[in-house]
Order: sequence, then C-alpha cells, then structure tokens
Amino acid sequence: MDNCTYSMTYRLVIMIALLLPNAMWAQEGREGATFLLFGFGGSNQMDTYLSPMEYDGWQASVLTGRERMTRMAGGRISFQSMMQAAATRTENPARTAEMWGGRIAYDAAWHWNWTPAKGLRLKAGAQVGTDLGFLYNNRNGNNPAQGRVSADIAASVAAAYAFRIRRFPLALRYQADVPLLGCMFSPQYGQSYYELYIGNRDHNVCFAHPGNAFSIRSLLMMDLVFSRTTMRLGYLCDVRQSNVNGISTHDFSHSFMLGYVRYFKVLKRKERKEDNGL
Amino acid sequence: MRNVFAFILGAFFLSLAFGCQQGEDSYDDTPETNLNALWEIIDQHYCFVTYKETELGFKWSDIRQKYLAQLNPQMSKAQLFEVLCNMLAELRDGHVNLFASIDMGRNWSWKYDYPLNFDQEVRDAYLGKDYHIAGGLEYRILEDNVAYVVYESFSNATGDGNLDDMLYTLRLCDGMILDIRSNPGGDLTNAEHLCRRFTNQKTLVGYTSHKTGKGHDDFSTPMAEYIEPSKGIRWQKPCVVLTNRSCFSAANTFVRNMSQFPLVTIMGDQTGGGSGMPFSSEIPIGWSVRFSACPSFDAEMQHIEFGIAPDIYCPLDTEAAKAGVDTMIEGARTFIKERFR
Repeated sequence: MDNCTYSMTYRLVIMIALLLPNAMWAQEGREGATFLLFGFGGSNQMDTYLSPMEYDGWQASVLTGRERMTRMAGGRISFQSMMQAAATRTENPARTAEMWGGRIAYDAAWHWNWTPAKGLRLKAGAQVGTDLGFLYNNRNGNNPAQGRVSADIAASVAAAYAFRIRRFPLALRYQADVPLLGCMFSPQYGQSYYELYIGNRDHNVCFAHPGNAFSIRSLLMMDLVFSRTTMRLGYLCDVRQSNVNGISTHDFSHSFMLGYVRYFKVLKRKERKEDNGL
Repeated sequence: MRNVFAFILGAFFLSLAFGCQQGEDSYDDTPETNLNALWEIIDQHYCFVTYKETELGFKWSDIRQKYLAQLNPQMSKAQLFEVLCNMLAELRDGHVNLFASIDMGRNWSWKYDYPLNFDQEVRDAYLGKDYHIAGGLEYRILEDNVAYVVYESFSNATGDGNLDDMLYTLRLCDGMILDIRSNPGGDLTNAEHLCRRFTNQKTLVGYTSHKTGKGHDDFSTPMAEYIEPSKGIRWQKPCVVLTNRSCFSAANTFVRNMSQFPLVTIMGDQTGGGSGMPFSSEIPIGWSVRFSACPSFDAEMQHIEFGIAPDIYCPLDTEAAKAGVDTMIEGARTFIKERFR
C-alpha cells in the first residue's frame, strides 16, 4: 500500500532523496514517485504499405509511470514502469487524405543508479517493452490499415539533477530508451490482410534491431515543487522506424507534456501499523 | 551546475539529431515527379507487370519515356490527369484507377469492348414483383419449378440465416439459376460464403500469392485456396451460374470457385476478369491510385485476369429481349430440365 502525503516538505525530501547516495536509501526505506502527464504535439508518419508519402499532423498522448527503488544490489537498482497511449491524426502533403493512428505501449525498466556528484543521479539499465497500435488511412481500399505489434529489449539511460533557483526547488530529468533487439509484426511487402485472415503467413514476425528498426524515445522533464503540488513539464520526442519485408515505416512525434508527480513511500507492515496508530 | 545542465541538454539534443531520419521517399509536386511516382508504384507493386507485358506486348520500362515525353511544366491538372490515365490504361486492368476530384481514371475495355448480354428490364420481369430478398440475394421460383436467384453485387452481405432460409424455401425446385450477370464484385468473403453452399467436400478452387519485393517477379509461393462445405443447408441439385463480361473481381473469383463443383455449370459469356486484389497508394499531387497487388489463379495455376470462359456459351438475343425473353435464362431453364431428367 502506498502512503501518500501532500506536505511540501515531505515531497521535497523524497525528491531530493531520489537523487542522494544509495546508502541513504537503505536507511530510509523504499520511496518512489508516480507521475501522469498529458501531451500534445506534432507527428510525422510514413508507412509505405499504405502510402509512399509522409503525413504530418498532431498527436495527443498520455504518459503515466511509476518509479521506485528496489532492494536489489543493496538498493542501487530502481524499477520504472511507464505506459504511453497516443492518438494521431495526420494528412498527406496535398491535404487530400488523412491517417488516424492509435498506440499503447508499456515498458518496464531496471536501472543501476550512480551519484557522481551532489544532486546528480545517473542511471543505466535495461528495459523490456511491448507496443500495440494501428494506422488507418481513410481512402485506401484493401490496404486501409496497418497493425503494429512489437516487443523489445532496450537500453535505457537517464540522468536527474536536483537544484534550486533562488529558493525554488527544481529537478531536471532526462531519459533515453533505445530498443536493441526484439520482434515485430509486419505483413509481407505486398501481402493483404485478407491473406493473413485465410492463413497465409509469410515472415510476418520479424527480428528487429537497430539496423532495421532504429528507434529512440527521449524524454526531458522538469519538476517544479509548489506549496501543495509538484508539477512536471516535459518534452517527449519519440522516433520509431522500421524497414522490414520491404516496407518502410516511421513515426516521428514530439509532444510538450504537462502533469503532476506524486511521491510515495513503501512501508513495511509493521511501520504501517505504527503510522496508523494501531 | 552549468556542466550538469550542459550534459543533460546536450544528451537530449544529441539523441534527437541521431534519432531523427528523413523518410526514404520524398517527392516534389511537379508533372514529372507525379508521373515518375505513379510509374514506380506500378513498377514495384503491380502484380501483373510481366504477365501484361507478355499478353499485351509492351515493355513497362518503355512506358515511362513514352509518357514523360507528353509532359510539360505548364500543363494543367486536367491535362496531367489525362496523361497519367492514358499511361495506366496501357495495363487494361479494371482494378487500375486514378482518383482525382475531377474524375476517376479507368479502362473498362474488359466490358465495353464486348456485348453486354444483359437486359435489366427483362431480368427484372423474370424476378417479378413478389420476389424474396435475403441479404444481397433476390430470388423466386419460376413457373417451371426452377429457382431463380440474383446476386447483383458481392458488396452486399448475405448471412448464413438468409442462405439457410432461401435454400430451404427452394428445396423442392428442380434446379437453380444463379444470375450474377453485371455483378461488379465486392467482398470476397461474401462470395465464399455462398460458394460453401454448393459443395459437400473441401475443394481446391485456386491459388493466391503476393509480392515479396520490388521486382516484377518477386512473388510468394502460391497458397492453395479451398472451399469448405457449409454446416448449414447445401444445394444438391443442378445449378447454372449465368455470367457476362461485367462479372468482375470478386464475381470473377466466385465463378472460378463455382466452376470446380460437379453440379454447377457456368453459362453465358466470359467473365470480365480482375483477378488481382487491389491495393491503394497515392502520388504527390494527392491523387489516389488503385492497382492489382495480389494475383489469384485457378485450380490449374492459370491466370484468370482476363476472365473465365463459360462451360456453355449462351448469348443474349437482343431481338428476343425486346419481346421480354431472356435467352440466357431460358437456356439455363432448358439445361436444368434436361439435367434433372
């Protein structure tokens, strides 16, 4: 059970604690944070299965996540889970056709933590992720849509730095995730979904690696601690590409994110009872 | 603190620069680039380039130069549209179209170059006014106890319940005339649903394939297509499928399938063809192009792109039609009566 508090002092302590030496974690217990961000920005998409043209438009997204320290490796490893949902609407250059897209992705990452300087925390680790989505072109006939299903293992690096401007506490965070190997669904070059429906499979599960599907998700965030809440501003740049079965795809999106952070502390059963006065 | 800022921001912008790549295809919107884009779509994705080159005697590589010579930078959109449509018309494929706001480019020689063999007024007179409607099917029992069923378009779905009820109603008839003349095609699954009512065993009806690369002959191993018998009511008596040159696409595939069943006879004129499942793409000016992408073949792995010949050729006598007689329906009735005896 998470015990959430809203006192500024407590949140500031945890925020700073997230950036302090690992030894302190072992003494203080396992604390973490959840966040919820809403974003809006631009999107540039191409999928040669649907069209050779690049489509431009907007993207609306929601990014939610949770991060906490674990007991692994003496409390040096943190766990992070993130779920991202996005909807896109884009148009071809001539503005005569549009594409609608939807996507939901879940990632779980384990990071090793370093604190090379006061207030600075560096993280590096591995991430496993799944991605499910679609792209629909409103005027194509037998190839109106493209499904996206993939799973991958990614390298994940992050940096966080806590500082103050005058007396105002801030934290700057950056994270980048690059899939290194995985598998993804793709129809064959000219294969129809009707053929898939009647059971004609043809290399539809493809091995994905940076050579044929280089992708990177970059997330830059700034935490602003106010008296009753912690606001998070962010900029998300998501670059997803693939070139398998002769079909080239890309999905470049950049979104400005805005949301909040809630800090929590995971207590042992005994501590919880004491906290509740039982 | 400045160093830390520089590190974080530097990593961010470095990753953006490293990650963002331009799309591999980018086109300007000029007559030449539009023609080249259209030519490339056909060259790389159209599934009958080699077959059409053999049958129609052109080289697709020569086609580009032939039509590039007809372009000029000042030409209007309508003029460009005409040139591009003429280029596509070389393929003589009803599944190849160019869609613009001003028009839909097409080559319908597969039906316009031949007798229609269909008179809707006469056909409607055979149906009468009290015919049944079951999904996309219209049917009645003719005076000589022959079932007459019309399927105008496979775009209209017919449910299993519709088919069960129709076949039960027609169970005492001597035979069935299934009239799909001028059926332009539609949804293949609707055609297959109906086919399943005419076989008692799993039957090989043809093969299908798809392109695996940009080369003209890059195709997957053809996959056999079977029709499995329906678990509902199945027709066990003679059936005549009436066809004409306007039976296209899914209707062409329907005839391919039905021709494999022993109690079914194809009568009328050759079908219009259209054996490539069409895909869509587009060119920089924003016009959409449709083209055959996945070829299908008959059970002997022969092309059916230019149609399927009937078992019994039976044209419509236009003079008789003026008197309200459809010689194709009458021919089918006579055939069923002889077969039933």
